This record gives sequence, structure tokens and C-alpha cells, in this order.
Amino acid sequence: MNAFSAIFKSLANGVRATNKKYARPQIEMTLFVRICLLTLRLYLFSLVGLMIYKFVITLRH
Amino acid sequence: MDQASNLTPRAQMSLTAGLFYQFRKSIKALKMFAVIAGPGIIVMVADNDAGGITTYTATGAKYGNHLLWFLILLGPVAYYVQEMTVRLGAVTKRGHAEAIFEAFGSFWGWFSLLDLVLTDWLTMITEFIGMTAAMSIFGVPAWVTVLGCWLVMGSMIMSGSYWTWEKLALVFCVGNLIYIPAAFLVQPSVGDIFRNALIPHFPPGGFTNELFFLLMANIGTTIAPWMLFFQQSSVVDKGLQEKDIKFGKWDTAIGSFLTVIVATFLIIVCAKLLPGQPIDSAAEAAIRIMPTNKYVGTIIAIGLFDAGLLGAICISLASSWAFGEVFGWAHSLNHKIKEAPWFYAYYFFDLVLAGMVVLIPHAPLVLITLFVQVIATTLLPAALVFLILLLNDKKTMGKYRNTAWKNIANVTIVLVIIVLSTMYGITTLFPNLLQ
Repeated sequence: MNAFSAIFKSLANGVRATNKKYARPQIEMTLFVRICLLTLRLYLFSLVGLMIYKFVITLRH
Repeated sequence: MDQASNLTPRAQMSLTAGLFYQFRKSIKALKMFAVIAGPGIIVMVADNDAGGITTYTATGAKYGNHLLWFLILLGPVAYYVQEMTVRLGAVTKRGHAEAIFEAFGSFWGWFSLLDLVLTDWLTMITEFIGMTAAMSIFGVPAWVTVLGCWLVMGSMIMSGSYWTWEKLALVFCVGNLIYIPAAFLVQPSVGDIFRNALIPHFPPGGFTNELFFLLMANIGTTIAPWMLFFQQSSVVDKGLQEKDIKFGKWDTAIGSFLTVIVATFLIIVCAKLLPGQPIDSAAEAAIRIMPTNKYVGTIIAIGLFDAGLLGAICISLASSWAFGEVFGWAHSLNHKIKEAPWFYAYYFFDLVLAGMVVLIPHAPLVLITLFVQVIATTLLPAALVFLILLLNDKKTMGKYRNTAWKNIANVTIVLVIIVLSTMYGITTLFPNLLQ
């Protein structure tokens, strides 16, 4: 049990350290990059929306 | 000849010396290439994994040789995409996961990493499905196959040397070429093959929904998210430098040629022996061919097993490398287990978990196979867009960034892949959409 909690603690610390290390994007945020990232977000939201819709109609049937 | 004999002895000597210099230079370049080659060939041949082999058998059986031209077109497409990872890895000395974290921040980094882990794990399951199905044709129980694969894959990485691992992986790549002799065994019509390979056209029946789905499946199997992560990490682990990029590109080009050759020969075999038959898996194709041509049926089964094993070897490493890069763990195959415990622990965890799913009675394996296609649709566009953006970042890439022409080619390819792979994912979710 202690071994598991040690592993999870170590992973959580790793996640925190990673978030801190990569808090600021290093790429030059040009207008093109911003548009690409925004489009990507919209694309992913639409796709996840479709997946959730599919999941819900499958459950209903 | 006359011109050479007219030369003075001194000029003849300088000509001989020049030729000898060119010969030595070529030999040196070949030796250099032999040292650097590996990541490109392995990733491209591993691209013909168990899922890929199934797609090619279904394509050949359903449409004969009519789609060979399309397969040939996919070779350069795969090359252009993967070549970018060689440059990015050699210049930044970072794997794809780490490069995304650093350039785009932790949100996109975590999204890519977790999506990669899920996609890879599900794809690993499909590799085990392929391997167990192939070996079951020879009467080998699934648990024996899974155990054997664990042992082979485990022992391959425990050598503590990237070079040893790479050489062993290349042996499995040679195994993937088994479909070439199979095509010669079935004695296909050479004229028919060349006609279908060189002249783009649609099969008899025209452009149908079924054809569209199969075309999308072929694209989906040619460019997979794990390939981007694998090749970049592999280039970094091998220690390629900027000066090695030229050879890295050749390595990738040869790999893309081999992947197309394997796919083409398999399609030729299935076109000849299973004309017009609906095929759901490569194992089914092998079973159907066995009664009429035992050797070719056996070759298809062996090739399927080899493809699954090679795919599993590369995919599990892609995830382990990505985790190691992001968490800052030691993550090189040059490290012993004691030196990189987390890297190897994750590798074995992934391997064992994927193998065990196949052994669960009544596990929803068909659902998992379909789910892989949908999940890959969420990661592939993101990974490709990040790749293009990174390759255009002057600060990161310097003189190795994409030129205008490369951008035109790469952006066009990436957009087409994104549109078609998205449609593939959506039609997998809603199969009646195109009817």
C-alpha cells in the first residue's frame, strides 16, 4: 500500500513539475499559429461532441 | 573510349585518380548510410502492421489490382510526413512529445501524450489480436502466442543497447518482405499489374461508398500518430545530428518504398486468389487461401504474425519514449534496466496489459479495433498540425525549417490526410452516414 502511494505521489510530483516546466509555450505566437491552435480546438470539440452523441444514442438503443 | 586513349598519361592518371576518389567517396557514403539507416526503415515497414495487412488483404480481395496506383501514391505521402520528424529530431534533439510540450505548453502537451498513450495501447491490442489469430491457424493457443511475444519483445530491449535493438527490429522488417515471394508463387498477370499501377482509375462499379471507406482505411493505415512520435524519438535515441539529416531522409525514402512494395505484393496475392470476396481480416484470408494454395496461405499467416510483432515492438516504444521525455526519466535503449527503471517499467506495463486484454474471454475485440480508428482521428490532425508549425519555427529549426515548396507539399498532404482521416473516423462512428 505504501509502495502504491509512493508511486502515485511521485507521479503527481512529476505532473506538477512538468506543468511548471512547460507553463509558457516557447513557439512564437504569430497570427497563423493562433489561428491553427484555435481551429484545432474547435475541431477537437466537434469530434468529442460527435463521440458523446454516438455514446448517448448507443446507450438509448 | 577514343577520347580516353587520346589523353596524355598524366591526364589519364588524374582521370583514374578522380574515378578512384569518387569510388572511395561512394563507399564511404554507403558505409555512413549503413550506420545511420534504421529508424526510417523500421517505422515505415512497421507501418504495415496487423491492421495494415488486414486493410491490404481486404483491398486486394474486393477490388483486385485496381487500387495499386493509389497505394503507390501513398508512398511519397508517407515519406513527406515522416521526413519532417527526422529534421525535427536531429535539430532539436527532442522527441515529438517533448517538442509539443515545449513549443505549445502543457495543455496541448498533455492532450497529445494522453491521446498517444490511449491510441498506442488500443493499437497494441489490435497487434496482439493479429498475432494470436495468425498463430491459431497453426494450432498455437492464444496464451502461448502472447507469452512468446512478451518474451521476445522483453528480451529485445533488455540488451541495453539501441544498436542491438535496431538490428533485431530490422530482422523482423526483412520478415515483412515475405509477401514478395508469395506474389511470384501465384503467377499474376504482369501486364495487368503495370496497367493498374500506372494508370489512375476507379474499379468497375465506379466510386461507391464502400470504395471510399476502403480508400480512407488505406490512408489511415499509412499515416498513424505513433509513427511521428516513434521516428522522432528513435532519431534522438540513435543520436543523429544535423549533418546526418541527408542520410536520414534516404533511410525514410527507402522505408516508404518498402512499405509500398509490401502492400502492393500482398494486394496482388489477394487479387489473384480471393477475387471479389469480402474479407474481414488477414487471418480469414489466410484460412480461405490454405485449401487452394497451402504455401501462400502459410506465408500470409506468417507475415501477419511478423507484422503484428513489429508493430507492437515499435508502438510500445513510442509511448515509453514519450513518457520518459515528458517526465524527465532516463529513456534511452542504451540504458540498462537499473539506469532507466520507469522507462522499462512503462514498456512492460503497456505490453503486458495489451496482451492480457486479448486473453480475456469474450473481450470486445471488434469494438476495440473500431475504437482505435476513431481515437486516432483525434490525435493525428493535432500531431500533424504541430509538426508543420514546429517545422516553420525559425527559432527552433533555423536553416532546416520548411522551405516554401516544402510547405506547399506538406500542408496540402496534411490537409488531405486530416480531411480523409476525419471522414474515416466519423464513418466508423456512423457507418450509415454514406449510404
